[in-house]
Amino acid sequence: MSFVSLNIESPADAPVKLTRRALAKQRTRERVLAAARRLFTERGYEGATIRDIAQAAGMSTGAVFASFADKSELFDEILTADYEVIYAQMKQAGQNAASVDEGVIGMFAVAYGFHVEQLPLLQASIAVSWTRSETAERRNRGHVKYIFKLLADVLERGVERGELKAGVDVKLLAEIIWDVYVANYRRAIFDAWTVEALLARFAEQLKVILAGARA
Amino acid sequence: MGVRDEQKQATREKVLEAARDLFNETGYDETTIRAIAERAGVSVGSVFTTFASKAEVLSHVMERRLGDLYAEFDRVLPFLRGSTADRLSSIFAIHYEFETRRVKLFLAHIAASYNPSNDPGVTPYGRNERLTRMLREVLEGGVQRGDVRADLDVQVMVDTLKAAYAWNYRIAAARGAGAAELSAVMDKQIAFIAEGWRPR
Repeated sequence: MSFVSLNIESPADAPVKLTRRALAKQRTRERVLAAARRLFTERGYEGATIRDIAQAAGMSTGAVFASFADKSELFDEILTADYEVIYAQMKQAGQNAASVDEGVIGMFAVAYGFHVEQLPLLQASIAVSWTRSETAERRNRGHVKYIFKLLADVLERGVERGELKAGVDVKLLAEIIWDVYVANYRRAIFDAWTVEALLARFAEQLKVILAGARA
Repeated sequence: MGVRDEQKQATREKVLEAARDLFNETGYDETTIRAIAERAGVSVGSVFTTFASKAEVLSHVMERRLGDLYAEFDRVLPFLRGSTADRLSSIFAIHYEFETRRVKLFLAHIAASYNPSNDPGVTPYGRNERLTRMLREVLEGGVQRGDVRADLDVQVMVDTLKAAYAWNYRIAAARGAGAAELSAVMDKQIAFIAEGWRPR
């Protein structure tokens, strides 16, 4: 699964004037990333080799390796970029909500809306997440923390407002909600469910999960 | 069965056994059809006359394993006692116990179900009707026993429990957690959810 990068909340770096060489390097990276995104989407993670990606980007395999250590780093960079796009929206949906249900559903509506548009890439990322190397796994575990934090914030505000019981195990609750959120993608993948259908099911699941936690 | 069919059946058995062991020892992606044929002592061609793809081999390996698991359940189910939560805990504990015996194989099965190239001969992970039925029966039994409220949406609850069950394998994938740890996490999740289905 793809998650947010660690530097999301850090203040923007002061603009640096790029040398011509640095600019060229950045352009190479972008070309590789664009080609890789396309091939991962078309062929899945295992189906796209570094050689294919290099060829699609119009450069040598060596040039790709000059920018990325291996295929999994390349893949993770694409996923991280995606999560950075939706993280801010998820955060806003969670913060602006008047109730726990609204906040949680709002957050994951953003995620479903984004990922259902590009299901093949999401499928590849979930497939990889089950068998990834330990280094890649560690890299990603850092990312998931940020989504969990958003979710926990929404739940804790629910406790403060007196919507949820005071002693509720927020972490456990967040985990169960996350489980059903991710599992529902199977409906989109195998049964072609729309975002609306996913959200309707998710809302029902949320209701039964929260039932015992409501004050 | 004719001699030919018998031979075909024997090849099938050998291939499935070899594949099961190789997938678990060296990993699904790393295992080639050639390696499976070699371990099974059959020709590469005969593997392909029996199965359309590696994905199909994996699918059949898992189907056969499930046969064993559910034979176990047929023995155990009549003896389940206690609250609905206790019964569910037992059912999931037996699953974790069984699947962690060959955990790499099981993780490969989950991963493969998300691969874009699933062919028609493949039953992907997550289409386990037996598990769904068992959970339904326990929850519906709970309504009769009186510890589950009658207006519970059973199908939504089954989906929720299955999601939690499956996603807990992440801690097996991430740091090799065993059956006991997976069951302990699941028990906590069940206890939490059970709060919400208590009749009130």
